[in-house]
Amino acid sequence: MTWTAKLVSGLCLAAAIVLFGLLGPLLTGDPATIRDVGLTPPGGEHLLGTTLTGQDVLAQLAHATRGSLWIGLLVGVLATVLSGLFGIVGAYAGGVADEVFSLFSNVVLVIPGLPLVIVVAGFVPAERRGTWTIALVLAFTGWAAAARVLRAQTLSLRNRDYVAAARVSGEKTWRVICVEILPNLLPVVASQFVFAVVLAILSEAGLSFLGLGAADSSTLGTMLYYAQNGFALQREAWWWFVPPGLVIALFGGALALVNFGIDEIVNPRLRDRGRRERDVVAVRAQVAPAEPDAVLTVRNLDVVYRTARPVHAVKNVSLTLRRGEVLGLAGESGCGKTTLAYAVNRLHRPPAEVTSGSVALEDVDVLALGPEELRRFRWVRLSMVFQGAMNSLNPVTPIRAQLQDVLRTHRPDLSASGRELRCAEVLRLVGVDPARLGAYPHELSGGMRQRVMIAMALLLDPQVMIMDEPTTALDVLVQREILNEIKRLRDELGFAVVFITHDLPLLLELADRIAVMRDGEVVEHATAEELYLRPRHPYTRELLASFPSLTGERGALLR
Amino acid sequence: MSHHLRRLAFYLTALWAAVTLNFVIPRMLPGNPVDILMAKLQQRGGSVDPAARTAYETLLGTGGRESFAEEYLAYLGNLLRGDLGVSVSAFPAEVSEVIAGSLPWTVVLVGLATLLSFLLGVGLGAVAGWRRGTWLDSLVPATTMLSAVPYFWLALILVAALSSGLGWFPLNGGYDVVLDPGWSAEFIGSALYHGTLPALTIVLSSVGGWLLGMRNMMVSVMSEDYVLTARAKGLTDSRVMIRYAARNAVLPSVAGFAISLGFVVSGSIVTEQVFSYPGIGSKLLQAVQNNDYALMQGIFLVITVAVLGANLLVDVLYGLIDARTRDRSTVS
Repeated sequence: MTWTAKLVSGLCLAAAIVLFGLLGPLLTGDPATIRDVGLTPPGGEHLLGTTLTGQDVLAQLAHATRGSLWIGLLVGVLATVLSGLFGIVGAYAGGVADEVFSLFSNVVLVIPGLPLVIVVAGFVPAERRGTWTIALVLAFTGWAAAARVLRAQTLSLRNRDYVAAARVSGEKTWRVICVEILPNLLPVVASQFVFAVVLAILSEAGLSFLGLGAADSSTLGTMLYYAQNGFALQREAWWWFVPPGLVIALFGGALALVNFGIDEIVNPRLRDRGRRERDVVAVRAQVAPAEPDAVLTVRNLDVVYRTARPVHAVKNVSLTLRRGEVLGLAGESGCGKTTLAYAVNRLHRPPAEVTSGSVALEDVDVLALGPEELRRFRWVRLSMVFQGAMNSLNPVTPIRAQLQDVLRTHRPDLSASGRELRCAEVLRLVGVDPARLGAYPHELSGGMRQRVMIAMALLLDPQVMIMDEPTTALDVLVQREILNEIKRLRDELGFAVVFITHDLPLLLELADRIAVMRDGEVVEHATAEELYLRPRHPYTRELLASFPSLTGERGALLR
Repeated sequence: MSHHLRRLAFYLTALWAAVTLNFVIPRMLPGNPVDILMAKLQQRGGSVDPAARTAYETLLGTGGRESFAEEYLAYLGNLLRGDLGVSVSAFPAEVSEVIAGSLPWTVVLVGLATLLSFLLGVGLGAVAGWRRGTWLDSLVPATTMLSAVPYFWLALILVAALSSGLGWFPLNGGYDVVLDPGWSAEFIGSALYHGTLPALTIVLSSVGGWLLGMRNMMVSVMSEDYVLTARAKGLTDSRVMIRYAARNAVLPSVAGFAISLGFVVSGSIVTEQVFSYPGIGSKLLQAVQNNDYALMQGIFLVITVAVLGANLLVDVLYGLIDARTRDRSTVS
């Protein structure tokens, strides 16, 4: 089901039930009329049959639906007001008020609702238990979860620029809340309101079923109470017992569907998506590597994002990486360099698809590998260092586990002590104390994390390493250290590197050869020296001209 | 303030709030519980000596003859001694005895059912999120529909279909009454047999929430860089799913355990009533129907403390599965 289908069907179902509750009582007769046709099955005069005392079930259902919706609405509004008060105002005010309000919400949250309601209902004599009493108690026990959600949202909103701007310009607090914050919270508030209504209807039904509901109301819960005490199920009068529960379930289900729809609008990742059948289509027979010392050969590679308007992200790209060489891949963000890097290892995700071309790592035709072969190929022959070292490590396990994972999978015959030794060895290679193996990613600095990622990429002595902006998020000094490290390791261990960055001057220093990408195409491919001294493509010249030199003079790199 | 201190302050405040709520409710609400209780006690042949009256007054209010503070202190003193008063519905048993007799039933039933539901929901949610676009997608609306069904209604339908109709399960009760309660294999078997249907009700009604939450988190986590890295490392699919994606996606479900537990406990009270299960939920309703205010209060307090205890347990567990909280100095 698509999100629109969910939203529409949910809204229609909910609207139908609300209409039934609103108009039903006007169209059906008096629900209390007693007739001598007790427990008549559905059909004829009584569409949903009759109760033990011959009351019309449909008429009762209509009135009960109205009663339940009314309670749900009352509680929903009250709970939403309470949650807004404690969630939004507290978070907006900050400081002590926030601490106190948040503590209060959390305390109310852990006090179980229904037992409290039952105790309160138990103390209040039945004749004084009105709809409002029940609604107030249900609202009091039902607002806290929503307040927590609203608080979190408000906290993130109050730091946004436009809210800060309004505050600085001297707007009154209530005005900032009403004009700047509330409208942005509306989707959340609406969804919390819907939850509160459903929860209230369910709780009230439980309470009435136990005989503890409001004395002056008739709801789906009281209907079930009478059905149960009239032994409806034992007498096989299912038409008396099943409809009230079904109305509650359908209403709850309908609102859940609405929420699914809203969720998917807010969070596009949740939208239904066909299962990925293939990541590669129309692969040509592999062309033999043209150059004998080539380790990675990419020929005429095309990658297309199969979206509503297909995006041709990589266009007919051919690259050759020689043994032990550093190949720089430069270009502005969005030029397709990361897509290209991922496609080489077939890590691209749907809707991206390789539509033609070939990728060969020595004798391996990468695009023709089956899933299991591909898995065995990865990291053994070709490893990667990703853009965000901050997020490339699993935050909840120590780095030891993440390094050992690789050995456990690809070197299953290695002993535990052998694994430990190897992990310590690669950490030493990148200049990290092996004692840090037990550390969690959050305990390491950004530079350390990137070193750990490089160590991880070295574990299996791959021939090729793809580095996607490995130093972008680091400060200049750390960046320099890491680059020196990479150069040294390459010289010692002899692997080849595809180094992706938008930083052309950096590549001029690091790379043997450089490919410049623009709009998915390689516009220039030459040795670093050539490219620096005699850039041929206008875009390359433009790129070189855009970087200032140390003296701040723009275009100093251009000869 | 450190994370642990803050949590400790929270639990103490929550405990104090529960105790105080228990003290305030009978005093704030209309009606004269002490008189009703004394009348009940007399009917049952209990002593009507002034000591019994004083005990109830400490619990429920003296009608203004003593100051609020004095009453409160006396009430707290009684609580500390574990004295919750005398039950009238189970006269002459003490409230604490009644609770001690019924609490294990509920703890085992609700505890096991919740654990089962959590594991099932999180497990299915992880797989449903991982294998999106397969038939597993239909699990989400199906189980969400089940969570919108009132617990007791589902319980009664299950009883009608599986117990009355097919005769697979007993109609009600916690064990076969001809057996003597004890640690015999026969008795435990009977208890398990009787507990299956109530547990099934709780699992069916609560599994949807866990499943939905886990599935959505799984979808978010799957686009995290560390999952991409794990795939690039050539790890097996199941390893990436469990050690990288699910391991992270489960954190909010565990953190949100508190909220869900409240719902489950509420639902299981009504479920116990439907099955006449000898647990604390049935006792609570019995107490309400008999105006056994002392028992009502005692049970409410015990339920609240149990929920708090479960939360504390989950808090400790969370610290074990997410190292970041251990070192964090502040937490929202």
